[in-house]
Amino acid sequence: MAVLEINDIVTAYGKIEALKGVSLSVAEGKITCLLGPNGAGKTTLMMTISGILKPQRGAIRFNGQDLAGKPARTVVGQGVALVPENRLVFPEMTVEENLKAGAYLRRDAGKVPSDIASVYERFPRLQERREQYAGTLSGGEQQMLAISRALMARPKLLLMDEPSLGLAPLIVEDIFRIVRELNNEGTTIFLVEQNAHMALQVAHHFYLIEQGKIVFDGSPDEMEEDEVIKRAYLGSKV
Amino acid sequence: MDDHLIQVFSNVGMISFIALSAYVLLLTGEISFGQQAFFAISAYASGIATAMWGWAFWPGLVWGAAVAGAAAFLLAWPTLRMRGLYFAIGTLAFAEMVRLIFEIFRYQVEIEGELVGPDGSEGFRGIRYIFESDISATQYMLIIYLLLSAVLAFLFAIERTRLGAIFRMLGEDELLAEMQGVNRTYYKVMATVIAGVIAGIGGALYAHMNTYIEPKIFNVMLGVHSLAYGLIGGLGTAFGPLIGVGLDIGLLESTRIFTGYRMVVFGGLVALLLIFRPRGLLDEAAVHAIKSLWRRFLPAAQTQRSNNRAPD
Amino acid sequence: MVDFIQNTLDGIFIGSSYALLAIGFTLIFGVMRRLNLSYGPSIMLGVFAGTLLYIQLNAGLLVVGLATVVGAVLAGLYVERICFWAVRRGAALASMVSSFAIWMQLEEAVTIVFPDRTYPFPPLADFTLKLGPFWVRGEHLIMFICASLLTILLHLLLYRTRFGLAIRAVSENPTAAKFMGINTGLVVMFAFALASVIGGVAGYLIASTDQQVTPLFGLWATFKGLIAMTLGGMGSIPGAIAGGLLLGVIEAQSVWYLGTEYRDLVAYAVLFAFLVFRPGGLFAQKSAMQSRLAARRV
Repeated sequence: MAVLEINDIVTAYGKIEALKGVSLSVAEGKITCLLGPNGAGKTTLMMTISGILKPQRGAIRFNGQDLAGKPARTVVGQGVALVPENRLVFPEMTVEENLKAGAYLRRDAGKVPSDIASVYERFPRLQERREQYAGTLSGGEQQMLAISRALMARPKLLLMDEPSLGLAPLIVEDIFRIVRELNNEGTTIFLVEQNAHMALQVAHHFYLIEQGKIVFDGSPDEMEEDEVIKRAYLGSKV
Repeated sequence: MDDHLIQVFSNVGMISFIALSAYVLLLTGEISFGQQAFFAISAYASGIATAMWGWAFWPGLVWGAAVAGAAAFLLAWPTLRMRGLYFAIGTLAFAEMVRLIFEIFRYQVEIEGELVGPDGSEGFRGIRYIFESDISATQYMLIIYLLLSAVLAFLFAIERTRLGAIFRMLGEDELLAEMQGVNRTYYKVMATVIAGVIAGIGGALYAHMNTYIEPKIFNVMLGVHSLAYGLIGGLGTAFGPLIGVGLDIGLLESTRIFTGYRMVVFGGLVALLLIFRPRGLLDEAAVHAIKSLWRRFLPAAQTQRSNNRAPD
Repeated sequence: MVDFIQNTLDGIFIGSSYALLAIGFTLIFGVMRRLNLSYGPSIMLGVFAGTLLYIQLNAGLLVVGLATVVGAVLAGLYVERICFWAVRRGAALASMVSSFAIWMQLEEAVTIVFPDRTYPFPPLADFTLKLGPFWVRGEHLIMFICASLLTILLHLLLYRTRFGLAIRAVSENPTAAKFMGINTGLVVMFAFALASVIGGVAGYLIASTDQQVTPLFGLWATFKGLIAMTLGGMGSIPGAIAGGLLLGVIEAQSVWYLGTEYRDLVAYAVLFAFLVFRPGGLFAQKSAMQSRLAARRV
């Protein structure tokens, strides 16, 4: 069952359309991955879903609710949290304050401390550095903080915008292990990636976006069989 | 023209110089709160030259503008590293320092039994060259506009050459410009000096028209006003600052339609304007639209234009 | 030596009010990344609201103080709506010039209602303490205590409350703050109101120390706040406090050793030297982030 349905979304910067009618759906309990080159519109789509950019037309349905053009706070309130591209942690706040910021909209303030504790359980490194400014963390630690911060909202759907960007291969593997772990625990994940190899190991369904349009829609197997995609995104390794 | 009108036009003309001066720096992406300093320096320097050293008006004006340019050259170096707000506050600090130094600057000589020269906060009286040379107010207004046209012509010439493109490129994205091989230091210093000289010409004209100057005229209000004029009129063309000055001084102050509450009206209007046109009336898009209209209706003008283009 | 210490004390007392102005400036700069030139004039409007009640109704200290703060907040919100909320994102220069235009407007509006040069303002205290060889004026002492209390309150608000967390999140990264579900527009408005409360208190303390107000107060407050903020490091609250105190001490020392006409000259010279040699302000290291943002194109 699709938890997120995107229908014919058009988003433009001024007169330039970055998304030219994108439609896709994210199945509940699965990891869906959107692949595509730089500038294809991946981040624009994430920003549109999150409510930072307003689409010119089209519908974004989440559990039947229309979220298109709604402000970010409504989207978060509905249970959609984003791990933004380049992480965007609050550099001059401590690790713990970053987590508290993630729980900003939570009405059950009493349960926040136990959620923070379970984040620390998952990421002991963050507990060690809980009083440290987030800006002093390494790239991998910041990514873990960004993921934890998004989890603090107790999202039903987790959006991740290029979580592997700029990280060392070993850390990338770590991040993808966590992605799978979160999914196994029941979180639906919509992932944007350039790293097709890593994505292949975790995702259940793939979309490919090029120049603002979806050009491929299929399972990992179908993707591996597609000659064009193989050449362009998977290189000779597969 | 009656005397009042001549006075109004002369004032508009003189303030236009300092507005243009701020505009040149805006082109390169810098906000200056301090162009009144060069206006002041030249006002004093040229006044000293004509009233105390017995120079004629034109050498005095050139001297004033040159001293202002030299001061700008000196200021350009320490402010080179300041960017954004830091530049704005740095130029503000500099201009206030200049004004406060004139508040305590005393240099007087006796001429025909009378002490002449800057007397600190008492100001500088007796810059009477124009008055004594029987140059009428109308003639002086023409001199102002002659010089203003020359400065405008110079700025338009710059816009059409590589230099203008470099200035705007620095204004858009300094880092990118540098990666394109633009020598940032060289062009920033040049822009600062050009701006200083332009303000200086205005300052010399101002001193000789009013015969009396005092430090508090050159306070930060003058600087922020001239910066605002450029943004009100529009950052797309050198006519922008003139429109800003014309609207404020020419229309509102002089016609006295809003006497007593002019700023309530004007301040509100400017705030409204900036909501709808954050880069002023004649912003880049408007200038572009006007230019293409021009080209469509006057194909001859286009050929003329391309013939005039600098050979680079 | 006694003189030097006495000047330093006086400077710190006066500087505590500069620190408040700088804190207000820094709060607004923090959440907006834009310069609000109308900050001083909106405080001036509040101070005149206080004066009005004092002259017309002979209102007491508390009522005058309340009127000052309320006036400053209303004027501050007017500025926020017109110059910041309504002006397109990315047009920082337009916001700044717009705030200047509104400054002119507020200043003239006040001079229409109050055409004279100065108006009386009720004094806070009229006593002088002697501590060993040093003198402390009562209103200076009250000013310092109020400023310190207000700073502590502000610190608690920013670091111990959910609203404070939101303000800091918006200051550090408005986009990321939106991802947290924070209503950034509302937070900016509240930050303006908060800055105006602080400014209103500062205006009240200064006006009652001077026992008079003039329409020039707006210009004065904007530039004192701006200088103190820059000395300390833009966007940093500890910096604003340090910058305010430093400015107060510099002024007091230069008046004593060089004369009144050198007071502002020395202050501006120090400011210029800071911009050249230590552009991040006193707390250059800590606020490196803010400095980078300030240096961005406005």
